[in-house]
Amino acid sequence: MSDIRKWFMKSHDKGNGNAKLGKPGSSDSGKTPPAKSQPDKPVHPVQENSARRKTSKYFPAEKQKPKDEIESEEVSTKRKPQKDTEGSLKPPPRKKMHTVEDDDDDDDDFVLPTPNKPSDVTPSKKLKSGSGRGVPKKPVDIEESDDDDHKCAKSPPKSGGRGRGGRGASAAPAGGRGRGGGGRGGFMNFGERKDPPHKGQKEVPEGAPDCLAGLTFVISGTLDSLEREEAEDLIKRHGGRVTGSVSKKTNYLLCDEDIEGRKSAKAKELGTTFLTEDGLFDLIRSSINTKTPVQEKSSRTEKAVPSLTKKTPPKIDPKSVSPQGLASDSRAALKKHQITKPSSLTWTEKYRPKVPNDIIGNQSLVTQLHNWLAHWNEQFLDTGKKSKGKKQTDPSAKKAVLLSGPPGIGKTTSAKVVCKMLGFQAVEVNASDSRGKADSKISKGIGGSNANSIKELVSNESLSVNMDWSKHPKSVLIMDEVDGMSAGDRGGVADLIASIKISKIPIICICNDRYSQKLKSLVNYCLLLNFRKPTKQQMAKRLMHIAQAEGLQVKEIALEELAERVNGDIRLALNQLQYMSLSMSAINYDDVKQRLLSGAKDEDISPFTAVDKLFGFNGGKLRMDERIDLSMSDPDLVPLLIQENYMNYRPLAGGKDDNGIKRMSLIARAAESIADGDIINVQIRRYRQWQLSQASCLASCIIPAALMHGQRETLEQGERNFNRFGGWLGKNSTMGKNFRLLDDLHDHILASRESNSGRESLRVDYLSLLLKRLTDPLRKLPKDEAVAEVVEFMNSYSISQEDFDTMVELSKSKGHPNPLDGIPPAVKSALTRSYNESSRSRMVRAADLVTLPGVKKAPKKRIAAILEPSDDGLGEQNGDALAESEEENSSETEDQEDAANGEKKLQLDLEGLNSKAIKVELDLKGNENSSAKKKPAGRGRGRGGSAATAAKRGGSGSTPAAKRKR
Amino acid sequence: MRNIDIELTTLSSTHHVEMNPSDAGFQDRYVVQEIIKEMAKNRPIDTKGKKRFKVLVLNEVDKLSREAQHSLRRTMEKYSASCRLILCCNSSSKVTEAIRSRCLNIRINAPREDQIVKVLEFIAKKENLQLPAGFAARVAEKSNRSLRRAILSFETCRVQQYPFTINQVISPMDWEEYVSEIVSDIMKEQSPKRLFQVRGKLYELLIKCIPPEILLKRLLHDLLGKLDAELKHEVCHWAAYYEHRMRLGQKAIFHLEAFIAKFMSIYKAFLIATFG
Repeated sequence: MSDIRKWFMKSHDKGNGNAKLGKPGSSDSGKTPPAKSQPDKPVHPVQENSARRKTSKYFPAEKQKPKDEIESEEVSTKRKPQKDTEGSLKPPPRKKMHTVEDDDDDDDDFVLPTPNKPSDVTPSKKLKSGSGRGVPKKPVDIEESDDDDHKCAKSPPKSGGRGRGGRGASAAPAGGRGRGGGGRGGFMNFGERKDPPHKGQKEVPEGAPDCLAGLTFVISGTLDSLEREEAEDLIKRHGGRVTGSVSKKTNYLLCDEDIEGRKSAKAKELGTTFLTEDGLFDLIRSSINTKTPVQEKSSRTEKAVPSLTKKTPPKIDPKSVSPQGLASDSRAALKKHQITKPSSLTWTEKYRPKVPNDIIGNQSLVTQLHNWLAHWNEQFLDTGKKSKGKKQTDPSAKKAVLLSGPPGIGKTTSAKVVCKMLGFQAVEVNASDSRGKADSKISKGIGGSNANSIKELVSNESLSVNMDWSKHPKSVLIMDEVDGMSAGDRGGVADLIASIKISKIPIICICNDRYSQKLKSLVNYCLLLNFRKPTKQQMAKRLMHIAQAEGLQVKEIALEELAERVNGDIRLALNQLQYMSLSMSAINYDDVKQRLLSGAKDEDISPFTAVDKLFGFNGGKLRMDERIDLSMSDPDLVPLLIQENYMNYRPLAGGKDDNGIKRMSLIARAAESIADGDIINVQIRRYRQWQLSQASCLASCIIPAALMHGQRETLEQGERNFNRFGGWLGKNSTMGKNFRLLDDLHDHILASRESNSGRESLRVDYLSLLLKRLTDPLRKLPKDEAVAEVVEFMNSYSISQEDFDTMVELSKSKGHPNPLDGIPPAVKSALTRSYNESSRSRMVRAADLVTLPGVKKAPKKRIAAILEPSDDGLGEQNGDALAESEEENSSETEDQEDAANGEKKLQLDLEGLNSKAIKVELDLKGNENSSAKKKPAGRGRGRGGSAATAAKRGGSGSTPAAKRKR
Repeated sequence: MRNIDIELTTLSSTHHVEMNPSDAGFQDRYVVQEIIKEMAKNRPIDTKGKKRFKVLVLNEVDKLSREAQHSLRRTMEKYSASCRLILCCNSSSKVTEAIRSRCLNIRINAPREDQIVKVLEFIAKKENLQLPAGFAARVAEKSNRSLRRAILSFETCRVQQYPFTINQVISPMDWEEYVSEIVSDIMKEQSPKRLFQVRGKLYELLIKCIPPEILLKRLLHDLLGKLDAELKHEVCHWAAYYEHRMRLGQKAIFHLEAFIAKFMSIYKAFLIATFG
């Protein structure tokens, strides 16, 4: 339905255009429409005529107006109905009028002076009456009335029908929105509660779309019932601007309480008017009460135009060949019109900047580029090749330039424009060309490989210089999208660098991400120019020009919104604009807002932004797919951020919640859901059930966000009110590190054969005691005695100095005294000294982290050594090679392992390996004569098994610890 | 074919190899599939041919993941000729049916307190310590019927202060102290802020390698000591619920936090319902 309406609207355009051409054929028009409409109702021809009559008054005056202006006016009429319907909520005066009922239309048409506004012209009158019927407060009624309107509007041939159709379409959503605010009558101001404003308790008025036009607002503090964003939205929708800080241009400071902030101080200084939220509402409301009539009066001329345009279609109809229905006619005509006029060029091409000044933003960079290019020849050609080397160190004299920046902000355009201005001939090579490494022999010719032609190009310039063609166009190589030089373009970047080195022409490289790994080498050879996104004002200005040139009626505020939505991408903004222009001739703030929701650019959103949005105050209004998109923007990080921050939000869902029970239970639910997410994540990662990833993002992001979204508040003093980075990653890695340390300690203690407890019980049960045994004597006993005792204890459990530190680390906790407190530093150092002295006689420790001689790479992992009981005969050494700490990296054994390839290895194998393996003999003075043997064992699968077979035979009951790796 | 490095500590003697496959975390499956299988497959090498089989002792079998347990069960049967397995676990409920039915189940009861007291007295005699009356009983009581704990804390007391006094404080483990702090925190205040602080403390404990299951158990233990009788049942239920989920999941902190949040929510509602 609405589509059709749009088409109807659209036909005005065409009508307009044609109206000017075949202007005064009013008589024609008079004839045709009645013919068509007569079957329907006899009344309408009359109406039509009257309309024509009236409008014809204005006709001559309007004629001269440029077409786009007419269009614009027409828009305003189209828009007006919306405001009317919206306004229809309240106005009692009008109600009177509406009692007149259906005949209204006709009456109005005939009787020019209506009770309210004598001077009103027909179309507007009709609109009014339409809205009048919508008076009932319920939205349903309104919509019905719209439909009614539409129905009766349809029957009159075209004029009324079209006008209303347009209105109907736009009014429906607007009406819905207007009433979203909740029941009327929430104006009571109870309690001066500051923090939770009377959210949603007031009705948000709908006013004339432009009632705030030209006004600038600054919002300060908490408003009474609106969230900050809602207020901004409201103001923007009505044509106002919202800025961040108070300046001379600010008309109103919107605040409900004077919080004595900087804004209010500044506002007082500048004499800015303070406006409360209610004031704002009144302002908007009054725009309908009083302003609409005024506007209507003032825009009477405008009214006339639509009626004129409405009339015009009939004019062409006879001319146009198709004798079919009017609608299809005009549509066809419209299509023709559209196709012919904007030509085949997209706007992005059509309005591509032609001179550097047209480029939005980054002017200084453009100038820099300009200067660089302008001086290139002097710098690199005139000085001769020999000085090139020196030149390169000079930062200002790079032979190439690298433009970087997000897409769509005019990098390529800038490059081209500058080249053109300086008279260079630009040769562009982009990702569509193969840019692999050139054949080494350029003499082979250009045939096929693009890189070769680049080489050609780059090295040939000298020729042309030699030939001294003063007029010869100098060329520039533009390498576009260099960061896309990858897989297919093997050696592309390296080759490009080589080209730069030998180049005799300037090279401009363009990329999006200059920090890309691929471009690391290139960056050194280039002058870096980083393009930034233009501001939305800059963009809006430029877009405005274009819109005007295209005859598109757009509000600046709408363009700013558009600029904001596309995130600085002008190309996208233009494309969007052009797209919208196909279906509508006027674009409002709301259109942009609604349209672009779907067409929003697929930008990279950081996990933080995603979390902000999910938890934001209208996180509850996001559509499901948007939520999924947000949480999927980084499926690893977003859940962690959510988990870290969810309890910081004061959930809207909690509503009024004095004692926090609701909040607490919401938190509990959210926490459970997050835990669900973890469980699902295990399924995904461990069992590769990737089809669950949506469920995971639902459980770990969306549900918690849906439960908790609201206002963020800080939980700790001094915390900044921003989302923290997920703590889990850091904590988890610390935990991993501590577990490794604990493992070491565990190994050592096992190796000491004093204890064979598990790692867990070591931590849970033993640690306190061990630490006490280690630290208490240092505190209590005299220095020497203490040191001796502790060292002896450490030796007996083969605890190393590092293990000591580990234990201290593991038992330290916030808010508790450090276990090392109270130990004099002198004692500590004495301990270290005496420990180190005796360390030579300690084997276990010595075996740690031994680098094996003869191994090329240092071993990646620790090598645990084994304590051999003294009574083991050396003869049995081979058999009890349980000193089998293993290493994955000994190159010598690798081939063998490959052969073994996971097959079980038998003793024989092992012995074979052993003979090859490097033996590290540790001389152990302290202990009788045990030896630790090191065998680099491979990472082969069979390793574990073979090592096990090597279980020691000789030692009676000795329990050597072995570390096994696979 | 990818290579995975797994570090595993084993303890071996002439007669047995002892290991704790669950140390490999979520990769325990590979330990079972490769190392244990390899060990089990190979007949012991014995020149005299006296030994017909070798003995593998696997500790903490209950902590093995489901997959690892599944991989284990075939190995147990197939290579029983050359290898005997002794599985140790704290709770057989977490060992799958399949494994349990393949084993001879022997339940070893924790020593009773009087037995612990006897052991402590024996030690005191050997070490020539003067044991005040009732002291050993108190140590035993605190030990939660774990003999190791009892002996260790006995020794701790000895290090701390000797000769013993009758009312000498038996200091709890460092982490236990910390857990009881957490418990009194959450009993005192139930708010997002407090939850946030508690999360920090839980993190700290986890970082210090306290196994989350033990942490949760201890939390519950301490909570039960302070709770009203009517809440006990519910809290136990939730603790069990979250412990189970913790085993299914990977990030223990999420589940611990969920438990704390749940508890806070329940307890807060309870407090308000009771005291207004």
